[in-house]
Amino acid sequence: MNQETTRGLTLIAPPFGYAFALLALPLVAVLVLSFWSQDYLTIDRGFTVANYVEAVSDPIYRTLMGRSLLIAGAVTLVTVVLAFPVAYYVSFRVAPRHKSLWLFLITIPFWTSYLLRIFLWKVMLGFNGVINSALTGIGLIDEPLTFILYNANAVVITLSHAFAPFAILPIFVALEKIDRSLLEASRDLGETAFTTFFRVTLPLAAPGVVAALLIVFIPTVGDYVTPAQVGGPGGLMIANMIQTQFLALNNAPMGATLAILAMLCVTVVALAVVWLSRRLAGGGAR
Amino acid sequence: MTDPLIRLRGVNKYYGDYHALRDVDLDIAAGEFFSLLGPSGCGKTTLLRTIAGFEGVSGGSVAIGGRDMTRVPPNKRPTNMVFQSYAIFPHLSVAQNVGFGLRKRSDLNDDARRAMVADALDMVGLEGYGGRAATALSGGQRQRVALARALVLQPKVLLLDEPLSALDRKMREQMQEELIRLQRHIGITFILVTHDQEEALVMSDRIAVMFDGAIAQLAEAEDLYRRPVDQRVAQFIGVMNFLPAAVAADSVDAPGLGRIPLDAVGVRARANDAPTIGFRPEAVTLLFPGQDAPDRVTDATVAEVVYYGDMTYYDVCLDGTDAKLRVSMRNVYGREVMEIGQRTRLAWSPGAMVLFT
Repeated sequence: MNQETTRGLTLIAPPFGYAFALLALPLVAVLVLSFWSQDYLTIDRGFTVANYVEAVSDPIYRTLMGRSLLIAGAVTLVTVVLAFPVAYYVSFRVAPRHKSLWLFLITIPFWTSYLLRIFLWKVMLGFNGVINSALTGIGLIDEPLTFILYNANAVVITLSHAFAPFAILPIFVALEKIDRSLLEASRDLGETAFTTFFRVTLPLAAPGVVAALLIVFIPTVGDYVTPAQVGGPGGLMIANMIQTQFLALNNAPMGATLAILAMLCVTVVALAVVWLSRRLAGGGAR
Repeated sequence: MTDPLIRLRGVNKYYGDYHALRDVDLDIAAGEFFSLLGPSGCGKTTLLRTIAGFEGVSGGSVAIGGRDMTRVPPNKRPTNMVFQSYAIFPHLSVAQNVGFGLRKRSDLNDDARRAMVADALDMVGLEGYGGRAATALSGGQRQRVALARALVLQPKVLLLDEPLSALDRKMREQMQEELIRLQRHIGITFILVTHDQEEALVMSDRIAVMFDGAIAQLAEAEDLYRRPVDQRVAQFIGVMNFLPAAVAADSVDAPGLGRIPLDAVGVRARANDAPTIGFRPEAVTLLFPGQDAPDRVTDATVAEVVYYGDMTYYDVCLDGTDAKLRVSMRNVYGREVMEIGQRTRLAWSPGAMVLFT
């Protein structure tokens, strides 16, 4: 081993050790745990796939997993669709010297704690909450709306708000990177401002949009605080069940199994998104 | 020129308080190779973008092909542009870039479009490159793609915004010749923006020299070089030597040159400040020992020698002045290049002088 290699290895050793101890080892532990089983108070260390069989066959797990993916998908869609115009506005309409101020303003709501924001949404969406009082007050509705709290809708609303900047920022960066003369070239070649958006701006912003999709989707599938607080019984997600398995039901192996399956689902969806975007973008160059 | 293809009348453009274009009147004929030449910030690119439709005007009118286009957006104008950065779409292939503007043409089917793209690539010397990713091209190739992309739409006017400035010297000279050939071949109007006077002289039928948002002089290349309207233009186009001049009733006095009758001076032009007499480096010669001159001769000393192979540039001091004057001489086989400090004689004639008053 020459000196250069030794130096390189020395340099990456601490972060590598850190990543190994705090990411790889726990993952392996969860994976191993998922193939064991709970025997009342002790853990039976015999290898078994019984947990997996149960997880796949019991409809409660399937329902929760499916609902998690659906809610996360809805959150992702809502967040990215709402984030794009914001990012577009900041990138294309705001004067360059005001852009950082705008980005700063966008992050302000995130100075308060995550939990606090969830409680604030409860206040907003509740039976006697801000939205219902306001709507009843101006006479738009007679009865308070009940579909906006303690169900899946509430989870989608709360999470979409929570992840907005994570979607705005990557899209903003992608839009900033677009050479403005490309838009002029498109106009020059006969496209209107509207068609230029679809033929030039959107395809070039695609990497940012894909990043936003993944950044929002991956953590929301596994979120459990928001569904526990505003989801009600119909808004619970797979992570709530994992928590229940580990803590309330004292069945760590089953929880580990569900965690592994949830990870697999996320991986499959993420890979599908990346593959799809590659195909759409790559269609151009070949 | 009875019916110009492009007619600008009283075009003014303000950016806030900044007056970018000042009362520009301009007629450009069909089939002309026209250049807008000037230092950076003179408004030449703004003028080009006004013709393309990217910049609205604060006052005045723009007509193309006899139709008023002052308020017409760029996608509805019969002009196409080659951008300084080329603006090649990075998400599309070469063929898709070239065919970008053809998609609007509903009178064409896919085969016709493909054929037109292939022809356009052929024309710029990129046959067979259609399938490549646009990002995998060199600077010169991008330039050609940008050219093909604009020309495939058969515009009435092709606008070129400093298209050669990003290329190295060899490539630039090659592209200059190709552009000239292409323009003669297809016969459409080219309007070139450049800050490179040599490029403008080499390529254009006519040149408009711009300073501070206004056209200072509009002329053919040779006219521009030989008969500049003022000192600024003379200084910007090529090299000119300047000496302060004292103008009397029928003669002019310049230090080192002596008295010259006014009616013998070749060209009269406007002075931007004090009266000045000027001449081009190649309009005079240095005499080697034993040579004689038909007209006037002034003693001088060689102060600097810049050897270019085929040419040598000498800076000489005329006896009785401090001013260094540049003289360019073609090198002749078998004759030594002069040395610094060597005594020499400057041969000149009043007819080669330009008087700025």
